[in-house]
Amino acid sequence: MFKAIGIICILIGCVGWGNMRIRQERERIRHLQTMQRILERIKTEIAYGKHTLPEICLLLTEINDTSYQNCFRRIYEASVEGGSGLPALWKTEFQAFFKGQPIREEEREVFAGLPDRLGFQEETGQAENIGQAEAFFSRRGRQAEESCENRTKMIRSVSILTGLLLTIWLL
Amino acid sequence: MCEEEILRLFPERIRGRWQEVAAQAEKLQEIRLRAGTPLTILVDGRERFVDSGGRIVDRQEAAARQESAELEEILKHLCQYSIYAFADEIRQGFLTVQGGHRVGLAGQALLDSENHIVNLKYIRYLNIRIAHQVKGAADPLIPMLYERGRVVSTLLISPPGGGKTTMLRDIIRQISNGTAYGRGINVSVVDERSEIAGSFLGIAQNDVGIRTDVLDGCPKAEGMMRLIRAMSPQALAVDELGGVEDMQALRAANGCGCRLLATIHGGSLEEVTHKNYMRDVMEEGLFERYVVLDRAAGAWGIEGVYDREGKPCLRR
Repeated sequence: MFKAIGIICILIGCVGWGNMRIRQERERIRHLQTMQRILERIKTEIAYGKHTLPEICLLLTEINDTSYQNCFRRIYEASVEGGSGLPALWKTEFQAFFKGQPIREEEREVFAGLPDRLGFQEETGQAENIGQAEAFFSRRGRQAEESCENRTKMIRSVSILTGLLLTIWLL
Repeated sequence: MCEEEILRLFPERIRGRWQEVAAQAEKLQEIRLRAGTPLTILVDGRERFVDSGGRIVDRQEAAARQESAELEEILKHLCQYSIYAFADEIRQGFLTVQGGHRVGLAGQALLDSENHIVNLKYIRYLNIRIAHQVKGAADPLIPMLYERGRVVSTLLISPPGGGKTTMLRDIIRQISNGTAYGRGINVSVVDERSEIAGSFLGIAQNDVGIRTDVLDGCPKAEGMMRLIRAMSPQALAVDELGGVEDMQALRAANGCGCRLLATIHGGSLEEVTHKNYMRDVMEEGLFERYVVLDRAAGAWGIEGVYDREGKPCLRR
């Protein structure tokens, strides 16, 4: 009886671990898609609205993602109401936000380092430069989505197999 | 205006140096930053300098010199790290920052084939002109701006830095809210350089009255016509007239029954009369009052008020 319960627990644990990895992968795709949408919005607001970056941060507090919303609200408040420099605020805020998130180092650097792309004296050039970052996330998002299906199947199989092997070994 | 507002003009890294200057916020008129030359400020009409420790000194030898790299950093900060958003202003040689402070720019001009300035590069000279909202600045003028309970069209004349915009802002506020001499009226403001209302995200940061509509960042001539059609104002206010187009728009506004409130650069009424585009307007009697301002020795002074024929109503 105890053995049966133990086997079930091990199998549930392994499948759970597998699901967690799959969820992380999906979470990464969600982040990549959100970042791409954010950059697309920034690009549009620069090219057509000629908004400043703090103004864009205020507009981005309306995006459909609470955690990003809060980041943009804090950046806007600190830069406009507190008068702090936006590049440093952006970097600090997003470096802290990305900690513990399933995003790769290069992706974090590109997004958190967005203010380094500023400095163009003309909106089209500036928007195009932001567009390069957007294209990066679009590419990464597509790659992640394509590989996600296969990886999901693989992770699920590996987790079940690991559970079975662990059970056999413990028996 | 508070100390904090002055400090916010500078990046956080160098704010410490400007603490003492910011403490003079009420009397501070200009901060002049020129690459490689002493940090200069104009306080209460008097030129002074800032040393490396942030102390205000009288001797230019003791002053700190402005570094080019730091100047660029300040410019970026003033533009909220979004220089593209200020491209038109940079091309025109000035930008207006939050609070309505105007920053004059100079550097190397880039010209197109027709010798028009398309951009400025190597911006190495900044003149930060501190905007002051002085509520009550127009108090001595207000009785002269009404005739039988209605506002009269008025032109404010003074040299640059003479307090025209401050005076205009307070006139707008008072006639919009209403005074002892007349009821409040709808005032529309074409704030081409965001100096009058100091709008941020479309909202006036300065008190311009409860019946005032502001069209921010729009060229004067176009803005006046637009506001007449859209907002049906009883009075129309613009800062710094300066061309035939502006005069045509003024005539159109006057023809619609709008009272005009405007400012123009000039040392005296005679000086303004000599401007080609002003002569006809003055002969037509578009303005019923001419107010010449004199801010000598830092005082908010009215040098004289003249009627439409140029006869003095008040002379100091």
